[in-house]
Amino acid sequence: MTLQQCYQALDGNYDDVIGRLRSERLVQKFVLKFTDDGSYDLLLRSIQEGNAQEAFRAAHTIKGMCQNLSFTALGKSSAALTEALRGGSLDGCQQYLPQVKADYERTVASIAEYARSLD
Amino acid sequence: MPDSQSSRRERILVVDDSEMNRSILADMLSEKFDVTEAEDGEVALEILSRQSHIFSLVLLDIVMPRKDGFDVLTEMNRTGLIEELPVIMVSAETASSQIERAYELGATDFIMRPFDASIVYRRVLNTIFLYAKQRKLIGVIEQQMDEKEQDSSMMVDILSHIVEFRNGESGLHILHVRTITDFLLRKLVKKTSRYPIAEADIPVISLASALHDIGKIGIDDHILNKPGKLTAEEFAVMKSHSVIGANMLQGLTAYKDKPLVKYACEICRWHHERWNGKGYPDGLAGDDIPVTAQIVALADVYDALTSERVYKPALPAEKAKEMILNGECGDFNPLLLECFSEEFDNIRAMFTGSISENFAHREVRNLAVAAINPKAVTASERTLKLLDYERMKHDFYAQLTDEIQFEYNVESDILRFNQFGANKLGVDCEIINPAANSVLAEQLGDKWFDILGHILAGTTPQSCEYRRECQLSLNGEMRWYSVIMRVIWTEDAEPTISDVIGKMVDVNSTHVAMCQLKEKSMRDPLTGLLNREGIKEELVHKFDKFPARKYAVAVFDIDDFKNANDEYGHLFGDKVLQELAERLLHSTRVHDLCARIGGDEFLIVFDYDGDYDIHSIVARVYKALCGKVDTFDLSVSMGVAEMTSVDQSFQQLFNKADIALYVCKDNGKRSYKFYDVSMGDTVPQ
Repeated sequence: MTLQQCYQALDGNYDDVIGRLRSERLVQKFVLKFTDDGSYDLLLRSIQEGNAQEAFRAAHTIKGMCQNLSFTALGKSSAALTEALRGGSLDGCQQYLPQVKADYERTVASIAEYARSLD
Repeated sequence: MPDSQSSRRERILVVDDSEMNRSILADMLSEKFDVTEAEDGEVALEILSRQSHIFSLVLLDIVMPRKDGFDVLTEMNRTGLIEELPVIMVSAETASSQIERAYELGATDFIMRPFDASIVYRRVLNTIFLYAKQRKLIGVIEQQMDEKEQDSSMMVDILSHIVEFRNGESGLHILHVRTITDFLLRKLVKKTSRYPIAEADIPVISLASALHDIGKIGIDDHILNKPGKLTAEEFAVMKSHSVIGANMLQGLTAYKDKPLVKYACEICRWHHERWNGKGYPDGLAGDDIPVTAQIVALADVYDALTSERVYKPALPAEKAKEMILNGECGDFNPLLLECFSEEFDNIRAMFTGSISENFAHREVRNLAVAAINPKAVTASERTLKLLDYERMKHDFYAQLTDEIQFEYNVESDILRFNQFGANKLGVDCEIINPAANSVLAEQLGDKWFDILGHILAGTTPQSCEYRRECQLSLNGEMRWYSVIMRVIWTEDAEPTISDVIGKMVDVNSTHVAMCQLKEKSMRDPLTGLLNREGIKEELVHKFDKFPARKYAVAVFDIDDFKNANDEYGHLFGDKVLQELAERLLHSTRVHDLCARIGGDEFLIVFDYDGDYDIHSIVARVYKALCGKVDTFDLSVSMGVAEMTSVDQSFQQLFNKADIALYVCKDNGKRSYKFYDVSMGDTVPQ
């Protein structure tokens, strides 16, 4: 699997990220790092614990990373969730969290497959 | 920052809670900068509190745990660090209120996620560069202000010393009064806002205090220097020095509105008034006495007590303080006495060192503080932002064009190229001491520096633009460039060159095309010989370049060419002309010029050395021209005129050759004739 195919699989914009970061090596490095980031776990945990502020922050971080890496799909759903959480209430979660979950899992699965193909 | 690029790498603090975001930024910047990472605002502030001076820039995220980006900015405002250390926000935040808030808290710039590596790099570089420039400018202002202040300060010192020496005093008194006044003033404005004294006025008031006794110049010597006690009349005369001094200063009509004179005037008149109204000359009380005079009065009394005078020994500082606070030397403003007590240790400490040095040192420090006064910087920060924006815009457009753009600053001796120019030339964007740069010299050739020198020498503030097309060797290839420059002059009384900006545009293809077009327009398309215009131009060059050579002009046409056309058709006519041109080119030499100047009319300009015999040359050429073309018997009639003296013009030679041609035709064609004077000087009709 090529990095480009990985981007197709996770619904990201490969041309955009290469255009901005200028180096395939860099993009590869950060894509592989993405799965190590704890923000997603923090998001789920915070929602469970009813901590809206922390959940907002976690969603915001995910959104920021996705923008950096041009992960279009997850970037879009996490942005929607971020805005829903901005007010300090967890009400919006029901509406937006499922999409974030689906996108995140797809993203992580695609990256994992790409990582396997590198070995 | 150009001046430290060689010696030290700039360090940037990257603050972001996402490790990935931090390392993306770090990776982008690590080639040119050192990077320190902080995972939230609290860590960032902790690092800054310990070693803010090692950083040239902060890249700051907004949303972070513990302390967020706004907390960091707020704290940097509290400590004043925001004035010195530029902060660029990097955030996915798109709410304009958040961006606005960041700017209000002093952020220099805002970069939106997702960001472009080269833009981040460029903005970081620009911001660091601008701040370095700003620091440099503050330094320049400080120095200039310092010099000006020193000049006027010196004049006041000289003036007041005249009074002092006449007074038989050491001259230290005025310095002491000045120093104490300065201390008390600064303390007072910190303590209360009751008195409207601007920070910038403090040095002026201190300086004015030196003039407090200037009226003593109008007091008679024997009273002024009387060793014993003064009589009541003498004391009355002595007291008048306050009013005399004020009147003297008021008499300076040209300067009476200057702050220095205004302050000096009130100090002179009222520095013997007392808070309870028991002073002189006007018996003013409380704050009816200008605060400047109140302060100088206290300073004057303290220094008089602690100094030796003809009528008394010096008192110890502690004793003097006690007497003043006890009201033994007259009544003073309680607030001022408070200031005096609190500053007492500092005042006493000042006089143990070398006072003049200390004072000069303090003054410089105060000026420096004034120069970087936060208000002033805030005002100019907007300008910096605008500048930053303009530079970004400029860089962006510069990227889009295929022009080598450059800026040269004379003082710093730095030459900057746009990215395209730097790539094209294979040099860095910034070159310090470009004249010594070997790559540049190799790429542009020495000619480039000649041009630059020529321009710098030739322009004036009135005509500072320069345009020229010239051939430059770039990467070893000679190409035509259009060089456009503007020389920027300083606005001083005697302007000097401060900068040169300009661009070089590759115009090689258009230039070559122009040359080809011109070449084409000078040639006859059928025969490839020069046409009438072409030979005219060539002759101008030739006569200009080699005026001393010998020339001869031959004019000829084809005998009975009309018949050939009629008989064989025009196509054959063309063939004859082409054949004739061919023979012409083969029989003449490279220095000779050949042209077809009319239908079947041709011209040769022989360029021959005097040793050659023109007659035999013409005979040979004539013979070569004639001879059958297919069945047509080609012959020509030719008139020749040779140059007899150097001042003969081409037109004159041509006319003579033309006359000879007519004579030749009259004599039955098929031959050539040299002009001689018997043929006259007009062409027969």
